[in-house]
Amino acid sequence: MMIELILLLPLIAAAISYFVKQQHVAEAVSMLSGVLQFILALLIAVDVMQNGAIQYGLWYADELSVFMLVIITFLGSMAVAYSFSYIGHDREEHEISGLQLRRYYLLLQLFLFTMLVVVLTNNLGIMWIAIEGTTLTSAFLVGFYEKDTSLEAAWKYLIICSVGISMALFGVVLTYASSVDVAGFPSDSLNWTDLRSVAALLDPTFLRIAFIFILIGYGTKVGFVPMHTWLPDAHSQAPSPISAMLSGVLLNCALYGILRFYIIMQLSVPGFAPDLLLIFGVISLVMAAAFIILAKDFKRLLAYSSIEHMGIIALGFGIGGFLGIFAGLLHMLNHALTKCLMFFGAGNILQKYNTRSIAEVRGLAYIMPITAALFLLGALAITGSPPFSIFLSEVMVLQAGLGAGSYLVVAIYLFAILVIFAAFMYHVSKMLFGKPTEGVVRGEIHHVSLIPMAILLVSILVIGLFLPQQLMDFITKVAALFPGGSR
Amino acid sequence: MTQELLTDTINGLAAIVLLTSFFLVANTRMHQLVRTFTLQSLALGLFAFFVAYYTGAEHIYLVAVLTIIIKAIIIPRFLDYTIEKIQVKKEVEPLVGIPLSLLICTGLAFIGYYIAEPVIANGNIITKNCLAISVAVVLIGFYLMASRRKAMSEVVALLVIENGLFLAAISITYGMPLIVELGIFFDVFVTVLIMGVFVFKINRTFETLDTRFMRRLRD
Repeated sequence: MMIELILLLPLIAAAISYFVKQQHVAEAVSMLSGVLQFILALLIAVDVMQNGAIQYGLWYADELSVFMLVIITFLGSMAVAYSFSYIGHDREEHEISGLQLRRYYLLLQLFLFTMLVVVLTNNLGIMWIAIEGTTLTSAFLVGFYEKDTSLEAAWKYLIICSVGISMALFGVVLTYASSVDVAGFPSDSLNWTDLRSVAALLDPTFLRIAFIFILIGYGTKVGFVPMHTWLPDAHSQAPSPISAMLSGVLLNCALYGILRFYIIMQLSVPGFAPDLLLIFGVISLVMAAAFIILAKDFKRLLAYSSIEHMGIIALGFGIGGFLGIFAGLLHMLNHALTKCLMFFGAGNILQKYNTRSIAEVRGLAYIMPITAALFLLGALAITGSPPFSIFLSEVMVLQAGLGAGSYLVVAIYLFAILVIFAAFMYHVSKMLFGKPTEGVVRGEIHHVSLIPMAILLVSILVIGLFLPQQLMDFITKVAALFPGGSR
Repeated sequence: MTQELLTDTINGLAAIVLLTSFFLVANTRMHQLVRTFTLQSLALGLFAFFVAYYTGAEHIYLVAVLTIIIKAIIIPRFLDYTIEKIQVKKEVEPLVGIPLSLLICTGLAFIGYYIAEPVIANGNIITKNCLAISVAVVLIGFYLMASRRKAMSEVVALLVIENGLFLAAISITYGMPLIVELGIFFDVFVTVLIMGVFVFKINRTFETLDTRFMRRLRD
């Protein structure tokens, strides 16, 4: 019942924000829907933690689903809160029409809906459909400004992700094929729970090929190098709250798709999936480091940083064991929170300076002191400085790697994050200091946007400093779903 | 219909799907491209129909009908409409010459057999040989995607890839669960619609559909 309700909320909000022709109604309904989704997600999470997985009809929610659910809904409501200022500012500047504004909230809610379906369905086929759905709903958001560059980004996004995801469909077909010969398997089902219960009987040849296709297909959406080419374009051209959603939530959702198959693979052909993830993780990390050094556009800088962090998460799951998987999961959460903070900051800077170029932003600390402080703290956090939460999960990946004896991987990992720290700080310090850019008036661009940013900063500080026991227990339980992930 | 004739028909239709992919590579005009695609979808629909007849599985009949309605009637009409509406220059302008392209696609067809080999060796249903064909069709779709410049041809290429995957799904598993099939149809349909919208927008903004002009975003 709660599952249907949480799925219904974004749909209702989408309909209202489109049909009621008032800006404030669209905003208020979207916010209300976002907050209610978050509350419901927490209720479902508590239910699952106490009574075990919920399963009926097409739906299934276990610890991993609710973990994702909480991330999606929390960041979803943060993005809506930030959109008031950001999209509202665009409206005041007459960059967009009232219709476009309402369409924005409509699409944002539909985008949330597709992501909720991804993590709540039991059927791997439906999950594929929903992941393709995330591309379709967010493509319009990426091309929202209808400028030449944003259309280019949206077209690239549509084509590359649709092709990528069609590979994943082939993987789903092969997974299904591996199961149809299994005795006692309901032949009309692609349910994850059914597949898991017969995992040991599945045809390993089919499964291996299937997983390669799944990894390449969903990996395109996760942004693994070399399938990442859409990502920097889409992230830099989308409105900033959408960039935050793409980076913080959508990439995690695609990764979730891979993780579901990862669990089945580990039960059937242990060791195959982690090795592939390690390879993609290392490549993504190294390439992201190279692009971060060369970055000229601060939103693209953040986009490449997302590729880096997806690589780190892949390393966590690739190394495996309790510590590796725990670190991977915690890093998914930490990256999402921190990257949202960064993109919100980048949004403020973009609207103030009217440029994405790092070279044209100077003296931010003087022009917008509060945004500058939040942006700097976010930059320190995203590059893994203590006491922020990413430091914690990055050290855990390191420990897991050393414990598993993957010294080469650990060496590359350390080298890459050091290089990224130096390059990132170099770019950010140039933006913060120096003689303020001519013609930019001093003062924050909008004050309301600072609230979601502050909330995000506090949450990464709390996780980084204290790592609350409840969160520890929660993620430990999620990790226990993975073979070899029990404590 | 005898068993043998039935298998021959099924294999023959799969062969037509492959053959039409080669035609697509050789097509030089937009409308031709759409018409060949229609033919391919029709062959695919009939393929599904005969597989349904062979296995007696009712849901595959439904899938066959949907394939013909959506992929052989609605989508081609929509594509034709878009082409007329935006007055796209009718030539396709491939980046690689047609003879060389055909040669490359022959190579891709061989690779298809090579990839499908281990799966075929393990399978035990009559359509398993069609898997090699479907992999070849998917690969040719990728090639089309990479070698064409126009946004419209990229849409057709994506549809060819989808057709190949569809053939694969029926070949190795006699089709996926019905709800999944329906969802995929819906997705394909919506994808094409959305791409159509973007084709209009791109045409309006760039005054061309040549995606080579979209090279502003780079590092």
